[in-house]
Amino acid sequence: MLRLENLTKNFGKAGVFGASLHLTPGEIVAVLGASGSGKTTLLNLVAGLLEPDSGRIFLGNEDVTRQPPEKRGLGYVFQDHALWPHLSALEHLLLVMKTPDRAQAHHLLERVGLGGLEARKPHQLSGGQKQRVALARALAAKPRLLLLDEPYSALDPVLREELRLEVALLLRAEQVSALHVTHDPDEALAVADRVAVMEGGRIVQVDTPAEVYARPQTLAAARAFGRLNLLAVEVQGGQVQLGGQTWAVHGLERGPGLLAFRYEDLAVAPEGLPAKVLAVYGGRGERLCRVNLGVGEAVVKLSAAPGEQVRLAPLGELRVFPLSQEARAHEQGKAR
Amino acid sequence: MPRGQPLATVFWLLLSLGVALPLWVLAWRGLGDLAILPRVLDLAGVSLLLALLGSLLCLGVGGGLAWLAFRARLHTGWDTLLLPAYLVPPFVGALGFLYALQLVNVQPYGVGGILLAWTAHYAPVAYLLLRPALESKLAPLLLACEVHGVTGWKRVRALVPPLFPALVAAFGALYLTLLGNFGVPAVLGLPAQVYTLPTLAYARLFSPASPDPLGEAAAIGLLLGLLAVPALLLSSQPTGEPSPRPLRPRGVWAARGAFILFALLAVVFPLVGLVRRALFNTFTGAFQPAFGDAWALPLVRQGLFNSLLLALLATGLLLLLGLLLAPHRGALKRLRQVLDLHYLLPGTLLALGLILLLAPTPVYATPWILLLAYLLNFAALMLRSMEAGLESGIERLVGVGKLFGLRHGRAWWKIGFPLLRPYLAAGVFLVLPLCLAELTLSAMLYAPGSETLGVAVLSALNGGLFREAAAIGLMLMALSLLLLWVPRKGVVG
Repeated sequence: MLRLENLTKNFGKAGVFGASLHLTPGEIVAVLGASGSGKTTLLNLVAGLLEPDSGRIFLGNEDVTRQPPEKRGLGYVFQDHALWPHLSALEHLLLVMKTPDRAQAHHLLERVGLGGLEARKPHQLSGGQKQRVALARALAAKPRLLLLDEPYSALDPVLREELRLEVALLLRAEQVSALHVTHDPDEALAVADRVAVMEGGRIVQVDTPAEVYARPQTLAAARAFGRLNLLAVEVQGGQVQLGGQTWAVHGLERGPGLLAFRYEDLAVAPEGLPAKVLAVYGGRGERLCRVNLGVGEAVVKLSAAPGEQVRLAPLGELRVFPLSQEARAHEQGKAR
Repeated sequence: MPRGQPLATVFWLLLSLGVALPLWVLAWRGLGDLAILPRVLDLAGVSLLLALLGSLLCLGVGGGLAWLAFRARLHTGWDTLLLPAYLVPPFVGALGFLYALQLVNVQPYGVGGILLAWTAHYAPVAYLLLRPALESKLAPLLLACEVHGVTGWKRVRALVPPLFPALVAAFGALYLTLLGNFGVPAVLGLPAQVYTLPTLAYARLFSPASPDPLGEAAAIGLLLGLLAVPALLLSSQPTGEPSPRPLRPRGVWAARGAFILFALLAVVFPLVGLVRRALFNTFTGAFQPAFGDAWALPLVRQGLFNSLLLALLATGLLLLLGLLLAPHRGALKRLRQVLDLHYLLPGTLLALGLILLLAPTPVYATPWILLLAYLLNFAALMLRSMEAGLESGIERLVGVGKLFGLRHGRAWWKIGFPLLRPYLAAGVFLVLPLCLAELTLSAMLYAPGSETLGVAVLSALNGGLFREAAAIGLMLMALSLLLLWVPRKGVVG
């Protein structure tokens, strides 16, 4: 459906550099990354709002790299909705339909939960309703590909969670391919078939959300999903020594690195590393503890009380990312 | 460098030179008549001092009102009390003060009368420039002072310096306007032989005793331009979006009182003067409206016809220009910057330049030279209005339409132009009344048969027809107050 080949747009320090990505028909791919990682630039390149310095963009088999936006047949859901203030919800849909069809427009508005609000203009709608109009407008255009740029970031958390699940269902039902930019890992996990992680303008890993979460290939990919602890360690023969404990690791055979593990990667074990619970917090069905491991602090999914002494061991082999001295000093500083 | 760029640069360079041609010609001719300058340097000094003093007065009164309104958290609805003074053409306001001051037996002519009429007319400009600056720049700082107990001198030190750029910009804008103002000194200065550079240039141009009226007027125009140029650097608009702050209202009644007092002095007082003169016989005191007599004057009918024709044509053409340029924001901005020259510099310079440039052509001494002058003078105003609309995000929303497959023309037709409507209306309501009541350009460029309403008022005044002048002034005032209904709101989003 969408194929990006070595796409580059250089703004100096920022931009997109050598990005390649392939979307199959009906697939939803989330582009995940921190602010300034190049996500929105990538989306604007696909939309035709920016012209790439090099590389090519294909929609189906058509090379659209130099095509203006209006020729690409895309739908776009903007972070700030970008609704037309003088048009009603219904008029938004009719304007973008190739052959305006009132019945179809009404049906689509019903589907996104806006039945009865067809005549309302943007300033008469709530934030969630505006986002639904933006989505209905995008779908009414019958796009070859739907682009979503952090569409729920302006909504409150409850509405955000509700809407993103609804939209994902709708897109799958309509068999619409979508490129969904977000910095929210929960959103990527909830809506995407695959995730493309971006860092410094480059796509550093593309895989299913579960795979990127469980087996990140880079530190940026590991960080993109959050829930990450990092400890500066020295690896010797594929093992690290922590407080007298030896843990087997992968990703680095020898030298300085960062031991990366999620909150749920450590568990209570009688022979484990001694740790003191410093604070307990959490909610939403899990209890998290900030613990002092002796070699640094970490957050662990654990049932314990503040001040309690526990012993912790990894559930499997942990990952170490190699680090330069400079980066290591930085990480050690952060760990303190 | 893109292929078309050198060509575009040459185009804009030529256009800028072409638009500035009247000023070049004026400078050239003025340099040939510099001999007059030593004789008018004292008047240049008067002009400069009057403009400086007037700007300070306007800034003091307008700034004071802005401060009171800001501290009292006065609703913008109260602005309605200040705006009429600004919306009425300055020479009509001057006419009102002339008659009103005579009613209370105060000598209206001379420096005092000019400064009074200027302050009444332009203090609201200072208010309109400074109130947003106070809201955006000072509100957060004042809140921080209140929360942290910063008072007295320390508070002044914390609040005043951030306001300097806005004060300087407002002062620059006022100085430029007052230096180039023709109407007020023409009504309240000329009869008392108090000249400013614009009225002096006017007097020299029509002086039968002058050996070279045009050359002398050009030299005076050149001097006027030299005094205006430094202020061009100061006159950029202060920027900043007001943000609501939970400031406690202080001195609400003082602020309301000041607004009412200003409205009484700057609007009601001259209005009473005009009404008294226009409706009652000066000698018998009997009710005897002068509208019929005014209408019977051929010059008034001719003036009304010409003013309406010119105003409608100029506004229509500028509207068309704005619409054509709206989809090309870069070009619109550049053209506006080029035309700003004639909007910001005193109109006297443009008028003299056009006389020099077009005197040998058939356009001279016809209404069409006035139309050209109006277009050059007011184009920047219309284009600024369009620019404000485009900067409010309309261009992006058109882009969104294109992204959804709408063709360029259809996207502008269905999205861009409808959203620009309030800004177009604002532009029309700004330019149309200004053209209708224009005096500076028409006083210098008119010829028999192409007189305007402003010229008719001035002629009636010079011919001793005070009651008829008052009647026309009153009509112009009523017309100008229609501006209070100008849609000021932007696009709802």
